[in-house]
Amino acid sequence: MTRQRRVAVASPQTRLALARRGTGVRADLPHLPHLAPADLERARRMHRAQLRRALVAVALLAALIIGLPALLAVLPWLDEIRIAGVAVSWLAVAVLPYPALVLLAHWQLRRAEQVEQSGGEP
Amino acid sequence: MTAVAIALVVLATLLIGARGVAAIRSTPDFLVASRRISPTLNAAAVSGEYLSAASFLGVAGLVVKDGIGALWYGVGFTAGYIAMLALVAAPMRRTGALTVPDFAEARLGSAGLRKLSAVAVLVIATLYLVPQFKAAGLVLTVVSGTPYWVGVVVAGAAVSITLALGGMRAATYVQAFQFGLKLLLFIVPAIWLVLQVSPDTRREALSPVEFTRFERPTPVEFRLDVELTITEPTPVTISGRPPQVLPPGEYPAEAGSTWTFAEGASVPGVEGALPPGGEGWSRPLLDPNDAGYPLLATLSVLVATVLGTMGLPHIIVRFHTSADGRGARRTAAITVALLSAFYLFPVVYGLLGAVLLPELFLSAGTDTVVVALPARVDSGWVGSLFTAMLSAGAFAAFLATSLGLLLALSGAVSHDLLPGATVRRLRLTTLGAAVCVVALALPSAYLDVGVLVTSAFAVAASTFCPLLVLGIWWSRLTARGAIVGMVVGLVSSAGVIGLGFFLAPPPGLAAILLGQPALWSVPLAFVTMVLVSLGGRPPAWANAAMLRLHLDETERRRR
Repeated sequence: MTRQRRVAVASPQTRLALARRGTGVRADLPHLPHLAPADLERARRMHRAQLRRALVAVALLAALIIGLPALLAVLPWLDEIRIAGVAVSWLAVAVLPYPALVLLAHWQLRRAEQVEQSGGEP
Repeated sequence: MTAVAIALVVLATLLIGARGVAAIRSTPDFLVASRRISPTLNAAAVSGEYLSAASFLGVAGLVVKDGIGALWYGVGFTAGYIAMLALVAAPMRRTGALTVPDFAEARLGSAGLRKLSAVAVLVIATLYLVPQFKAAGLVLTVVSGTPYWVGVVVAGAAVSITLALGGMRAATYVQAFQFGLKLLLFIVPAIWLVLQVSPDTRREALSPVEFTRFERPTPVEFRLDVELTITEPTPVTISGRPPQVLPPGEYPAEAGSTWTFAEGASVPGVEGALPPGGEGWSRPLLDPNDAGYPLLATLSVLVATVLGTMGLPHIIVRFHTSADGRGARRTAAITVALLSAFYLFPVVYGLLGAVLLPELFLSAGTDTVVVALPARVDSGWVGSLFTAMLSAGAFAAFLATSLGLLLALSGAVSHDLLPGATVRRLRLTTLGAAVCVVALALPSAYLDVGVLVTSAFAVAASTFCPLLVLGIWWSRLTARGAIVGMVVGLVSSAGVIGLGFFLAPPPGLAAILLGQPALWSVPLAFVTMVLVSLGGRPPAWANAAMLRLHLDETERRRR
């Protein structure tokens, strides 16, 4: 059996603390890996394309999260309508948001990955 | 039985941690293993760490206390991962930063900003930890009948022992297991409860009426001192003394006493709480204490929870386990689905609790509704079994979140705030932090678990959300802008919430703006950060420092 060097295995936070032990100072300026001009150009395209998509997703999220309570506030009669004995307005807060959120997450994930596949080209 | 169940949870946590470590032969194995963890497993681990006692007990408790509107908490807790997915997950993973203080330094190169971020971690983690300990203490109190302080101290001891024995080693597996456990221990009793109660109860739960009269002789155990307002002659038996009829007036109910109200007696009033089932209670908006601004109150909770999620110190570190930015993004997306499954169920406990245990609002005990329900429905061994399951689940939730937060907190103290960290000091800091949190949890017995946790989210949303979002997407952000913006955000959120603990709550609109400040403090922090940054000039490398966060791995893999 080969002897292996033993290293303490700990949680990320512990490892992080250990990595810095003794030095007292941390890495100084952001250690920038050198970006080749082509990479820089690609990163610039990605930034633009991903930002646009992220903002659309956040806008849709805001529409759901702000719009739904606002709708329930201005349409109190939704409390009176019942589906299978449950008030529609209750369903709107207890059940409806979750499938909507799952769909939105899935949609945004797919779009973000598509950008990466196409290299940021529209 | 309940004590056994809780002990089993602690043991299983330790064992899986130990097995996970044993399965790994060498350090390279360990590092590679972390790269091979699938987004699904990692998402389960994120959810396991995230689902705290506030989710397990607090949301249902708030439904009993404040009404259907409290369900917005669950929506906000879930939706936070969409903001994270769209704005933060992938670029944050590419920085290689494990914590926000790390990110601050990697992106902006400012040691001062690192220290300030560490202070924010401290505030957020403390605000998040105190309610966890409160909830754990409360669960132990309910199931064993001991005073509240004993429960909190025992919870603190349990955490300290777990930490001393090695804590959550191989944490991804432990947390993923914790998520499965919590989901099971929450959903199975919920289904059993729904099937077990009478059709009448089910119908009442869906069409509530205000709780104004006791429908049966009702014992109310007071674990804290409470002031009751009695408005009409009320027959009551106090702690085994002969029955009496109390004339209208104010009565102090002492901690440890049990008041048994006679059938048909009118329900007394309590300051700061409304009886469940009333008209405001049934509205699907949050209007704590009938302040009169339900839409504003709901939105400020949603803003805090949605934007605060990305800044939670114990969650950010989990995303580092993903292989790359793409994996981190997938993790966030799957987390949304896992959390959605969990948050469909607090409503079951909340609605049944409002019908079967409405008297909990009298004794400031609504946070116990989840663990108290099974015994109310079935007084035999089946009820005890489900009580044990739910207590174990609540304790698992407490343990998972508290350990992650305590580690994040002591990490921030021992290597961001103080120079030269050692393992020994990290351990001592963790224990010290646990002691401090226990000391803070003791006088917090009256505060709602869910509300306190939301304060932690509000602070995270007002400090880390602007720092991360602008740092990742806007190259003109300067270190000075970030520092000023964070100070403004910290003061306007944590400062205002802190003041609220000492001052009497102001009436109406002010109560919402000061109690739940996210609605104005987050925009304020963003605007400050942008304006101060525009007044300065970012260093020459700033643009490359930001752009490199967006260079995806697809390209690198192709080469």
